[in-house]
Amino acid sequence: MADSCFHLFGIRHHGPGCARSLVQALDALQPDCLLVEGPPEGEVMLPFVLDAGLTLPVALLIYNPDDSQQAAFYPFAEFSPEWQALGYALARNTPTRFMDLPMSCQFALDKAHDVERASCPFPNGLEARSTSADANVCTEGADLYADPLHWLGQAAGYDDGESWWNHLVEERNDSLELFAAIAEAMTTVRSEAPARRRSDYEQQREILREAHMRKTMRQAQKDGFERIAVVCGAWHVPALEKLPSAKADNDLLKALPKTKVAATWAPWSYHNLSNASGYGAGIAAPAWYEHLWRSGGTRQRAVGWLARAARLFRAEDLDCSSAHIIEAVRLADALAALRGHHQPGLDELCEALRTVVCMGDDAPMQLIHRQLVVGDRLGGIPEQAPAVPLQRDLEQQQKSLKLKPEATRKALDLDLRQANDLARSHLLHRLSLLDIGWGDLNKTGKSAKGTFHELWTLQWQPELVLAVITASRWGNTVEGAATAKAVDRAQAAQSLPELSELVNQTLLADLQAAIGPVTQALENLAAVASDVAQLLAAIPPLTHIVRYGNVRNTDVAMVNAVLEGLIPRAAIGLSGACSSLDDDAAQAMREHIAATHKAVRLLAHEELSGEWHEALQRVAHLGSSHGLICGLAARLLFDDQVENADQTAIRMSQALSVGNDPGPAAAWLEGFLNRSGMVLLHDDPLWTMVDEWLAGLVEEHFLRVVPLLRRTFATFNAHERRQMGERAQRPMQTVSRQIDADWDAARAEQPIPLLRLLLGLSR
Amino acid sequence: MIPILRQHAEQQFTEELDALQKTDTRQRPTNWAMSPWAVATYLLGGKLENGFEVSPKYIGSRRIIEIAIATLTTDRALLLFGVPGTAKSWVSEHLAAAISGDSTMLIQGTAGTSEEQLRYGWNYAELLSKGPSRNALVSSPLMRAMEQGKTARVEELTRIPADVQDTLITILSEKSLPIPELGLEAQAVRGFNVIATANNRDKGINELSSALKRRFNTVILPVPSSEAEEVSIVSKRVAEMGRALELPSEPPALKEVRRVVQIFRELRNGQTEDGKTKLKPSSGTLSTAEAISVINSGVALAAHFGDGVLRAGDIASSLVGAIVKDPVQDEVIWREYQETVMKERSEWKDLYRACRELDE
Repeated sequence: MADSCFHLFGIRHHGPGCARSLVQALDALQPDCLLVEGPPEGEVMLPFVLDAGLTLPVALLIYNPDDSQQAAFYPFAEFSPEWQALGYALARNTPTRFMDLPMSCQFALDKAHDVERASCPFPNGLEARSTSADANVCTEGADLYADPLHWLGQAAGYDDGESWWNHLVEERNDSLELFAAIAEAMTTVRSEAPARRRSDYEQQREILREAHMRKTMRQAQKDGFERIAVVCGAWHVPALEKLPSAKADNDLLKALPKTKVAATWAPWSYHNLSNASGYGAGIAAPAWYEHLWRSGGTRQRAVGWLARAARLFRAEDLDCSSAHIIEAVRLADALAALRGHHQPGLDELCEALRTVVCMGDDAPMQLIHRQLVVGDRLGGIPEQAPAVPLQRDLEQQQKSLKLKPEATRKALDLDLRQANDLARSHLLHRLSLLDIGWGDLNKTGKSAKGTFHELWTLQWQPELVLAVITASRWGNTVEGAATAKAVDRAQAAQSLPELSELVNQTLLADLQAAIGPVTQALENLAAVASDVAQLLAAIPPLTHIVRYGNVRNTDVAMVNAVLEGLIPRAAIGLSGACSSLDDDAAQAMREHIAATHKAVRLLAHEELSGEWHEALQRVAHLGSSHGLICGLAARLLFDDQVENADQTAIRMSQALSVGNDPGPAAAWLEGFLNRSGMVLLHDDPLWTMVDEWLAGLVEEHFLRVVPLLRRTFATFNAHERRQMGERAQRPMQTVSRQIDADWDAARAEQPIPLLRLLLGLSR
Repeated sequence: MIPILRQHAEQQFTEELDALQKTDTRQRPTNWAMSPWAVATYLLGGKLENGFEVSPKYIGSRRIIEIAIATLTTDRALLLFGVPGTAKSWVSEHLAAAISGDSTMLIQGTAGTSEEQLRYGWNYAELLSKGPSRNALVSSPLMRAMEQGKTARVEELTRIPADVQDTLITILSEKSLPIPELGLEAQAVRGFNVIATANNRDKGINELSSALKRRFNTVILPVPSSEAEEVSIVSKRVAEMGRALELPSEPPALKEVRRVVQIFRELRNGQTEDGKTKLKPSSGTLSTAEAISVINSGVALAAHFGDGVLRAGDIASSLVGAIVKDPVQDEVIWREYQETVMKERSEWKDLYRACRELDE
């Protein structure tokens, strides 16, 4: 290579050892041009590399503005060789170019490939590459790197390629011959590695990419640069060493399809950089690599690392004294010496910690693994960097609400009575409407905390940047976008429950402008809806809003109006909807009725309650509908004291009378008991009636109802069942018996003095 | 020569130790008989430069042995921890044999172990006639190891009462043993170290105090990770012991070894190897050591009462003895296993029948 103007540096993405050696090599070479394996569309973003507002890790995001599902991230960390090279070149104003195949072509090719595959009825399983994986991961797939390293590592007698590479390259303090050695190793691997399972499509892609890299190199040469540093993945080095005729490459690259692409920087996290996240060129231990990069090759390396571990152990309330660390350092050193390494590596340090601090147990190590080895650093991008306006608006709000995006999972308890918390809640609800999954609302149910608390679990994942871009087609501000999306969804909605849920979300997100159109859509749909079950399902969420809306300062008048229309409609249709149901349908209807009943009670609106009760009475009328529903209606009426015990007793005796088939009778009882036996326990006449009905069944009938009754009673809790059992054992009339005895008072008095003495009662 | 029933590691493997010492050119810690690398080779087996084959003593993870040896080079004491039968004492004996050429400086921990056994005792005749003097002092193995710079072994550390255990603290941290009666102290010579073993399954053990814990590096010896590994451990040990006991039988059939190991693993893990059937786990530990003894007694039965070939009938009796530790609970477990697992395996008919015969 000495006579050539090209100086190839094959690196491993995110390798601190490579990075260190690369910086030294660049210093020695003083290149007048730098070519880096990366998308040419990203060149416009290069000026931000040196920006003070940029904190690593970040990713260069290239996406298709028309279809943001098509996107590629090129992540960089402080210890990424490419990043160091870019920084080096930009600080010296050295011309810097990206030389990979443009993403515009890659996206177009992917799309064409997807279409092709979709048309093939039996896609080859091995080839299946999901588009979402494409979106998340830079195309440098696992098979390009993990495999050859693994192969070499095993040949060298290591457990896996990762630890081999770590010891040989990343954990050393480098020499300049490193790159020649890597190139040689990769040349051998590329020519001799066992044929790996890669589709023709992937191979074709690699050929195109390498052709483009060579083309860029020729262009740089033509532009008159004399010392061109080429930084690329080690795998590509052999393909770039010799430049074949320009024509062959140009032919390959001719007439490739293209799409529109846009580029930006996106904050990235160490977790996303680790291979646990599914990132193909991921590394096992980002935090360790960062430590390697920062500590250089000094003796302090192991000590600093163990001290960090000690802090983490203490944070988890595990004993870890300085003495532990001293011993751990000694053990790690001894282990390294035993294994013939110049300094302890990650394996030795972890083993030393486990042995010295954790009593040989692996569990405490697992506890701190994520923080110690992976790390939870999250990057940030400068304010001037181009980003979609929605992203800027979101950042603005995050700042004003003091809600910082963090990579770790964190719980947030919002007190909705406070203005700031309420605003935060609105923001989070708006984001979830926009499918930007930053926060998860914990389903607290009707917890003791009341409804003015909202519990969220927040975790900012860097991929959310993509979700923001996808959402940006709805508008330029979070509020605007959420409103537009809510209105759009309302117009497209086909079912009432979906709409009522949307109304709920809209109110939670405080989208004033959307409330009108969404409730209007709900009313329109309710007016034409013929499915009573849907009407019923729509009621509970709305009632909730009306009842608890005040806490959130939301205007619920509109929803109230909707409810006033919905409940009577449902009430009118109820008896019709309950007739001729089969068992499954009756079960479903039972849930709807029970939920709606609860909602109506919650509303405490006299007129509406009245209508609802009338409807229930019609349903409770025997023979009009399925036994289960009849029973349930009778019970609900009894509970609300619309019907008194006598009326209920009449209903029950009708339902359970001998003339009826035992099947419907048992169903009625199941509905009536409504999953709780309390009513039986506390109401004697009802108990007697059930008891008599059961006792009066002829054997054949009894055998038919037993399974049904068993099913009903099995749902009660154990305590109730026991009480019922005891109750059934007792005879109905429990008359306290009096004991008549002839007391001999004189004899009874005799032991008294002794008892007094024993109990210490003086006279 | 008087036939010794069981030879110490350094006697049994003298040849290997000599060969290792001869070829060992690496740096040795003071008073070590060989370098740490050679110790690792001795335990894990390997081929020396001169072609000499060293047999593996421990079959399992190399890392574990490396950590154990590295610990001993740092003069910190080593605690081997694990369920019974995972070769803790075995590893400790071989480590001591390789490092110091002497595995006999041993203190067996029991509930009755006293402070004198750890420190020193007195020769009372001498003491009474001449008064306290160095001559009247009877050194414990631990004290001798300190004076000679060798490796002392403490077996079953957690069975020793807590107050006696704490005697070790001074020895391990100050590396000296005060003898207040004589106004002297015994200071440890370089090369001295302690290997203790303890098991975490026994009930009624004396938990180590945290002060003592801190002075040990703990290495947990796991149960064999795969069936193949366990089969190879069992076959190897049985062959060695058979030789030692002069059993005239053929080497045990691999098939039987595999079956015993499989039964043990399944009962230990509470599910069949194919993961399809859940089983009740047994109350005993069912360690590799027990599997070895089952095969061994089977071999002895076959040799003395049968035709010398190990068959299902020969292992059935000791198998039941090893598995059924708790007569009520384990009996049920064992019976269930026979009926649900063994019976279903057509090639296990002979073993099933042999076990059933025993029950009747």
